[in-house]
Amino acid sequence: MGVLYCLMSLGINFIYGIMKVINWAMGEYYMIGSYVLYLLVTFPLGVKYWYVAVLAAAIAVFFLGAFVQVLLIKPMFTGAIGERGEYGTIVTIATAIFIRNLAVVIGGPYIYTPPDYAGPTNIGPLPISGNTLVALMGALILLSLFYYLIKRTWVGRALQGVAQNRIGIQTSGVNILKFDMLAFGIGTALAAAAGALLAPVYLVYPTCGLVSSVRGFEIIVIAGLGSIWGVLVASLALGVVESLGAVFISPSFMDIYGFVLLVIVLSLKPYGLFGKEERIA
Amino acid sequence: MQTFKKYAVLSLLLLISLLLPHFITDYWIYVLTVAFYYAIMAAGWNLLGGYTGQFSLCHSTFALIGAYASALTIVKLGLPLWVGILSGTLLTLVLSLGLGIVCLRVRGIYLALITWAFAEVIRTFIRVAYEFTGGDRGLNSPYLFRSVKPLPYYYLFLGLTVLAIILIAVVMRSRIGFYLRAIRNDEVAARAMGVNTVRWKIFAFMLPSGLAGVTGAFYGHYIGLISPVLGEFNEMAMIIIFVVIGGMRTQAGPILGAISIRYLMEFLREWAEIRIVILSAIVILIMRFFNGGLMEFLRRAGGWVRKKDAVSAYASMGEK
Repeated sequence: MGVLYCLMSLGINFIYGIMKVINWAMGEYYMIGSYVLYLLVTFPLGVKYWYVAVLAAAIAVFFLGAFVQVLLIKPMFTGAIGERGEYGTIVTIATAIFIRNLAVVIGGPYIYTPPDYAGPTNIGPLPISGNTLVALMGALILLSLFYYLIKRTWVGRALQGVAQNRIGIQTSGVNILKFDMLAFGIGTALAAAAGALLAPVYLVYPTCGLVSSVRGFEIIVIAGLGSIWGVLVASLALGVVESLGAVFISPSFMDIYGFVLLVIVLSLKPYGLFGKEERIA
Repeated sequence: MQTFKKYAVLSLLLLISLLLPHFITDYWIYVLTVAFYYAIMAAGWNLLGGYTGQFSLCHSTFALIGAYASALTIVKLGLPLWVGILSGTLLTLVLSLGLGIVCLRVRGIYLALITWAFAEVIRTFIRVAYEFTGGDRGLNSPYLFRSVKPLPYYYLFLGLTVLAIILIAVVMRSRIGFYLRAIRNDEVAARAMGVNTVRWKIFAFMLPSGLAGVTGAFYGHYIGLISPVLGEFNEMAMIIIFVVIGGMRTQAGPILGAISIRYLMEFLREWAEIRIVILSAIVILIMRFFNGGLMEFLRRAGGWVRKKDAVSAYASMGEK
């Protein structure tokens, strides 16, 4: 399960790294992703081409995210907004509420069940749901794609530069406003891909993004804001802690173990496991 | 003269709200009472999110905790009502102190992240531990007064609102108020000037949280049936909506926003979710184009009226 939480928190952390904005509407982009997948799989495409639907969901949300960024987040950097932190938080929270309630208005508060991708399978002696396995593999493929994009391509290097120093990178002729848009799109697309992959496991309803966005935020706090490797470690740790807690204490309180882990980590290391103490300019 | 006018207006408003319930039906008294609850919550959140610049996203959760702690103390332990309310308040104070110590040592954004997760965890906990808390079916909380009439509750919540307003006004006018504003404007500079930023941030987190706990406990005894819905994210978002539309960093704004929007929402009952969609769109627009909300609008309107008044035109220019 840890790997699955990873996509979500990677998206949040990626956007934070570039723009220093926490996107509170991540769970809603996840939700849109799973709705898009549900619509595509049930009507025009069919279950056979579910991977096309996942890609389509990610791409659709990429454009939606980029659009929202241009509309709402970009003014922060063009000088129209005085209070950046406050503006970013309130506007993204308002976006979250907007999208969530719009989903209720359009689709109703019902739970939709997308068809299964694959039946139950066995890995060695362990029975595992086929959907979870497929989602896991999809997540791994997406993670490696993301890694390739960031580390090996020109665009990825430019994005790293923007994350390191917004002013410095401009002197090398990078249009940061364009890259902000790109980064926001990629971040939301990661959330949407997670939503699409997990749609048959967690089903599709207006607040279905809640569980994984809570996990996502817990993970980035444990990992430390802005650290990509920390996210991988923290999401695995969270998955392990939750499974152990479910086995040894009680499975019904699964949501709480992660929070306990978070409180312990934070009281020992206030900036998270891999976070650096931030320099206040 | 200016302060005299202000007090005159305030006492006139108080007089109106004292007399009002004798002229309207029970239903609207009920609506106003609920609006007072939200007004207290919004005013408290404004102190933390508006003046101090620290975002807590579990303000409604503290009301939930207060309500449940109070009801559980009374139902399970058989203690009298005031002990229940006291225990609800104390529990929220202790929890907010703990959360504050954990996440206010670092920059503000951690508070938002952790309180957000905390809110969901508490809500899930109450839903899952249904043998103890009643879960999604809710918990019957004993009523505060014997009569079913909403009138005594109206005066109770009016009193609480007035107390909350006075408390926040006193804090903001004291030395502490300036500490909090200094923290929002520039935390490093505030620390350099000798303000113990961590301590006052924790104070600014505990005060509204405790207030939310008391209000939540009373609210639970008022509606009589509490459920985890009280701590849903929509509730939290409504508080932020009230504050932003009313006007952040104004003392009357959140109260005005809460009461007027609750009133409006009652009229648009059959629109259900569309109301919230529209309200959140308004919040985005206010943040983007017109920072200040209703209070700023009123101030500008007032300034405009005064400007038409040829005699005081010069004075109003001077004020700006």
